[in-house]
Amino acid sequence: MNTDCLTIKNQDMKNQYKALKYRSLVLLAAFFLIASVIAVIALCVGASSISVTDSILALIEDNGMARSIVWNLRLPRVIMALLIGIGLGTSGAVFQAVLRNPLASPFTLGIGSSAGFGAVIAIVFFNGLVNEYAVVIWAFIFTLLSSFLILGVSRYKGATAETMILTGIALMFLFSSLSSFLQYLGTKEEVHGIVFWFFGSLSKAGYREIVMSGIMILAPMPFVFRFAFDFNLMTAGDESAGALGVNVSGVRMLSIALASLMTSGAICFTGVIGFIGLVAPHIARMIFGSDNLFLIPASALIGGVLVLSADTLGRTVWLPHVIPIGIVTSFIGVPFFLYLLIKKTKEYW
Amino acid sequence: MLRLLLSSKEFYPVRFFLASFLLSGLIILNVSAPGTAWAGDVTQAIVIEDAFGRKISVNMPVQGIVVLNSDVLEVLRSLRAQDLVKGVYSEIDKDGVFFQEFLDRPRVGSWKNANAELIADLNPSIVIAYENNPGTELEKQLSPFGIQVLRLNFYKLGTIAKEIRILSKIIGREQQGEIFAAWYGKKLDAIQKRFDYIKEKPLVYVESYSAFHTAGPGSGGHDMCVYAGGKNLADEFKVPYSEITSEWVISKQPDVIFKTIAWGNGFERKDRVFFNNVRNELAARPSWNLIPAVKKGRVHVLDSGIWTGPRAVIGVAHMAKCIYPQMFDGLDPEQIHKEYLEFFQKIPYQGVYISENLSGGAK
Repeated sequence: MNTDCLTIKNQDMKNQYKALKYRSLVLLAAFFLIASVIAVIALCVGASSISVTDSILALIEDNGMARSIVWNLRLPRVIMALLIGIGLGTSGAVFQAVLRNPLASPFTLGIGSSAGFGAVIAIVFFNGLVNEYAVVIWAFIFTLLSSFLILGVSRYKGATAETMILTGIALMFLFSSLSSFLQYLGTKEEVHGIVFWFFGSLSKAGYREIVMSGIMILAPMPFVFRFAFDFNLMTAGDESAGALGVNVSGVRMLSIALASLMTSGAICFTGVIGFIGLVAPHIARMIFGSDNLFLIPASALIGGVLVLSADTLGRTVWLPHVIPIGIVTSFIGVPFFLYLLIKKTKEYW
Repeated sequence: MLRLLLSSKEFYPVRFFLASFLLSGLIILNVSAPGTAWAGDVTQAIVIEDAFGRKISVNMPVQGIVVLNSDVLEVLRSLRAQDLVKGVYSEIDKDGVFFQEFLDRPRVGSWKNANAELIADLNPSIVIAYENNPGTELEKQLSPFGIQVLRLNFYKLGTIAKEIRILSKIIGREQQGEIFAAWYGKKLDAIQKRFDYIKEKPLVYVESYSAFHTAGPGSGGHDMCVYAGGKNLADEFKVPYSEITSEWVISKQPDVIFKTIAWGNGFERKDRVFFNNVRNELAARPSWNLIPAVKKGRVHVLDSGIWTGPRAVIGVAHMAKCIYPQMFDGLDPEQIHKEYLEFFQKIPYQGVYISENLSGGAK
């Protein structure tokens, strides 16, 4: 009788999980569709007077200037926006999962500030206003440096979530202060450049940047997915996860390193787009639940949708001006996030 | 005796007199001490209007100036007022060769965030700063010391001659100021008058220091473009420095493109390699081969030294010559620059300031 009961319960749970899985897959497909639709819209709108038909035709045939604009300017921008959103959304989800903290994001861990400091160094000392690769390289160096510092301190003090978060917050303040100090030394032209970098921009997105950024963002993806189940176990606490065979500190350290690489791939080329890494995983959690097997791809897709929508709005809503993407992401992300937060009846975290 | 004086009621008037005497002495000592609001011989005051449009009564004679940016320092040198400069902005070392004679002056902090204590220590009569930087807290911090903050920009072409006259009046170098302002006006007029009969001006895209950031009305770059006879693509913008898309530039089909860079110092530059690299990178941007300016090789890179500052007139001359090569065939911007550096600045002419050799010289 008891065995029968257990079997029925087990079957029920399996069915429930199957239904949940099915629901999540459908939702993921829906978000993929949304992202595709926005991508097509983004390819059809812009500052030039090319018609929507010409923009779509430009994808398949050579129709002169339209083709050049769509292939050389709009398409790289769309791909870059999606990549950045995917990178920030995924890394945010990973940080929140391994640190078991809803406030964890690439920016609360100081990675954004350190990239910013690298960019400021490049602008003030290495001609970053003209040589954009100097900015990319220095921002990348500093994101890695801050990640190594977090990992180093964690290794020394034990890789607990608290150690990592506190180290990250300390680094965030340190690098922010260092950036402010260098701004203090900068000329007015340099200070202008720094301010604009911190706003974030996709104007410089080209295929070369996409390849470099894409490698940094997409290469760690399989490893992150590989850890998704471990992340699920870690939500119950380090000890429980350890008892179930998860190498907690190892997974945590490697995940932080991978997520940092994804973050730097996202922000080194475009500047600080801070909000996505925090909010995309929360939105995903509200819609998909806490199973990291779905939460991580969902955060990636939602991040992509948010960045792409923000960039498309930012470059079209006030033509011919471009509203910096860092501002627009907050404009559209915060109300959406608050709406979901208020509408959500049960606790989601 | 002293105890008697202090204790007896009969000596109250004497004690009162002594106390008053001591107090007066202390006040006099305090007033004459350096660094106070009352220091210096205030013989007269003149009222001027600064960049904020504020009427300011400046006490004359001005005995010392703290300078918070390179533009005003350059104008002071043109007015032969180097001796009045008591302190300078900290970033001066970046222009060390150009401003060599000022490198021994004390630094007082950044152009946008000066240190009030250091300025007070130097006890200048006035501090000259940009209109918006540092913030007005500087006035609040320095007013107890009797130090006035004067806001003069020297980077807007429309007001630069007026500001030269104001500054020269304050420092008692009116004659030099008049010569300099007149020279400035004459050079600009010589370019301007040729546009009287131009009906359709070429379209110009002006790119500021950061990529894809253009200069609209309210910015020095826009003024320069207009003074040089160009029609700025961004002439209807409401924002002085705005980010735009590459697509917009291509769709507008500009005839000429100007890009300014602020790396190194044109005064120390020996060749055009750096400018040419920047120009080539600009021309190689995706789909920019569709722009007439790129097709015809009319992309020009200018040094920040001749961009929106006291030397903007030289930048305008370069730009005018780039926009209308035939009309300004006889105009030699380098000659104007040489005249400026050697006659007003009293330093030898040197450096490279633009990607093309417009004067036909050796460089």
